Amino acid sequence: MGVDETYRNYEHPLYASLEKMPGITVGLARLDQLLQWGARNSLWVFPMATSCCAIEFMTAAASRVDLDQMGTIIRPTPRHCDVMVVAGTITVKMAPRVKKLWDQMPEPKWCIAMGSCAISGDFYRDIYSVVPGVDTICPVDVYIPGCPPNADQVMVGLRRLQEKIQLQREGKWVEPDKRPDDPRTILPEIGLYDRREDDMTERQHEASRHLGVGGNESRDNDDGVISHQGGVSETAGGSTE
Amino acid sequence: MNEILAKLATEFPGVFDAENPDPSGALVPADQHVAVAAFLKENGFTKYVTVVGSHYPASGDEGVAEYEVGTVLRNPTRNSFAFMWRVRIPMDGEVPTLCPLFAGADWQEREQFDLVGVRFGGHPDLRRLMLPEDWEGHPLHKDYAIETAHPPWR
Amino acid sequence: MEVRVPTRPNPHLDIDAYDADADLMALNMGPQHPSTHGVMRIKLFLDGEVIVKAVPYPGYLHRGVEKLCEKLTFVQIIPIVDKHDYVAPMTNEQAIAVAFERTLGIEVPRRARYLRTILAELTRIGSHLLWLGTFTLDIGGTIGGGASVMMYTFREREKILDCFENLTGSRFHYNTHTVGGNRHEIPDGWVDQVKAITALMKIRVPEYEELCTGNEIFNLRTQGVGVVDADLALELGLCGPNLRGSGVDHDLRRDQPFHAYDEIEVNVAVAQGGDCHARYQVRIAELYESIRIIESIIDKIPDGPLSSQRPVKSHLGVKIKTGCHYHSIETPRGELGTYIIGGGDNKSASPYRLKIRPPSLHSMSALPYLLVGHTVSDVVAILGSLDPIMGEVDR
Repeated sequence: MGVDETYRNYEHPLYASLEKMPGITVGLARLDQLLQWGARNSLWVFPMATSCCAIEFMTAAASRVDLDQMGTIIRPTPRHCDVMVVAGTITVKMAPRVKKLWDQMPEPKWCIAMGSCAISGDFYRDIYSVVPGVDTICPVDVYIPGCPPNADQVMVGLRRLQEKIQLQREGKWVEPDKRPDDPRTILPEIGLYDRREDDMTERQHEASRHLGVGGNESRDNDDGVISHQGGVSETAGGSTE
Repeated sequence: MNEILAKLATEFPGVFDAENPDPSGALVPADQHVAVAAFLKENGFTKYVTVVGSHYPASGDEGVAEYEVGTVLRNPTRNSFAFMWRVRIPMDGEVPTLCPLFAGADWQEREQFDLVGVRFGGHPDLRRLMLPEDWEGHPLHKDYAIETAHPPWR
Repeated sequence: MEVRVPTRPNPHLDIDAYDADADLMALNMGPQHPSTHGVMRIKLFLDGEVIVKAVPYPGYLHRGVEKLCEKLTFVQIIPIVDKHDYVAPMTNEQAIAVAFERTLGIEVPRRARYLRTILAELTRIGSHLLWLGTFTLDIGGTIGGGASVMMYTFREREKILDCFENLTGSRFHYNTHTVGGNRHEIPDGWVDQVKAITALMKIRVPEYEELCTGNEIFNLRTQGVGVVDADLALELGLCGPNLRGSGVDHDLRRDQPFHAYDEIEVNVAVAQGGDCHARYQVRIAELYESIRIIESIIDKIPDGPLSSQRPVKSHLGVKIKTGCHYHSIETPRGELGTYIIGGGDNKSASPYRLKIRPPSLHSMSALPYLLVGHTVSDVVAILGSLDPIMGEVDR
């Protein structure tokens, strides 16, 4: 499935009309900032929640990790929502419905792929009835890895999306044209991860290379999306992907 | 376990052996399948557990590709255990359905038809359960590739 | 052959022949819908507001696990099977491990059996808490007030998940059971953590019960709704709280003991009535019972090895015995069984055929019988009280 990104750069119609008025640009910057802040901090989420990641998503929306504190409300109808969080395996039977619901969401819209089943199909990717990753159906903005990701990682992913929205509005976002070979988690600048040791990521990659799973093998899909998951791994467990 | 085997050996001689019971479940001919289930239901095995179909491809030159259908029932009493038996049919044959006896057989048999391909004779509504209605092939056949593509989604 | 009782609704009703004058409407619920049970689709045929025929369509999460497991060994199967009943993950692994152990005749050491029992009961508490939260969420509405109990129960469930994280390292999908025992040893302070949980639950569960049973709207929406009589329940293969809510006294923990249940007394909760309220009462009673079981054995975990097998050097080490084997355990949803067919000689490390008998599939197959005659608003209550988990239904 090709991914159509021609509608990525969203222009607010209010600006187009306001810009034509002389001397208005002074106030426009402030208005722009206000609108950006509003769009960022009130992302209403559409949970395309199919399997186990749905439970972690519900947990993220519940008491301990409260997504509501970021202004996100879980709305079950796509017409009201900004963000579609795909949590869980997408199967061949479900895929046309996901596409239909994605098309029903009004602009501007973003998509978060949560969990390794939605990112790449996990170890189900070679099975006859599983779609290997939801980015074959709709363009994904943020990938939250994990099987399932911890509930606080959902919060991290939504914060990363907020950063991305801000950078896009400011015009500073550079869209990577394919997934990097090296699956480093991009951590947002929210000050939580200062305590992470500098070489932790290197050590984790070294460990995964030693076990012979995942890592730096890339395999081309038909539509140019590179995935970094091999077949079924021989070692047990898969809490971190 | 021995009592029910003894009763079954009396009722269906030649099929059930009370002295050396087959640990995988006795092989019951297809025409006695429903009678065995009815007899067990009258004797306390009222809980329907499951039905499992498997595909055995033809081995050698004269072998015939077969389906083996295992049925499991349970008695919901203090010393509960699961009783199972098997039916073997050629691939174009039919196993009589247990739907009039057990309402749960409806969906279980539909699922086995969907995935394995074994047909159940007399089933009120034998159609696919798990896979889309227009799917071709039965995935749990031994010669069905697990990576079968299904354009445009995979 | 017994005579079919004529009052049972016919799930294969011919819609065209129903009534020429009635104006039937086909309403589709799902596969994506606000209720939190995963992707399922129910096609309802309505005569006005009353349901005449309900046709559920499962399979939107069919991941082909049974085909996948035919080329995997037991070490690889355990994390895959983990993802079926994702609300009660420990018991999935335990079902497979118990099936393999009973087939191969491997004995599990007492320490592992006690640990497994504690984990199973903690999982039962976590699963019923989540069920209670989502049940009341569905009945009350997300913004309407049903979210209160959900927030409370998820708060408690976080503590249980912390406990599991302390033991195994992950909140979900632990991969902590193997054939012959467990992998993760109990860390220091874990026993105190579990005791703190049970002490807390003894205060909280009566609060939740009072919130729900004392709520008139809850009672009106669940009493008399979705009645299953005992015969239909047994025929359908219902199990667990769904069966015990219909008055059938059957619990695999007592009737075919596994883990350490042969050394523990299990009081089985049975409710008469068969409606949603009865199933709710059974699950609340099971919550109390799980707390009691954990408290009675948490101090008595015997010392010894945690696994009777040496750590497996190669995942091809364990071979499956020839023949067909069926073994099951009692999960929070009912009887989760595994039917394994071993290969021709005793030397194959992968099963020839592996079938998981999911309790939720039977619960879902009860829907065509239960929904007839009710209104659309009852569908949500009935679906919630049956507690299906789609990962299990579709595998």
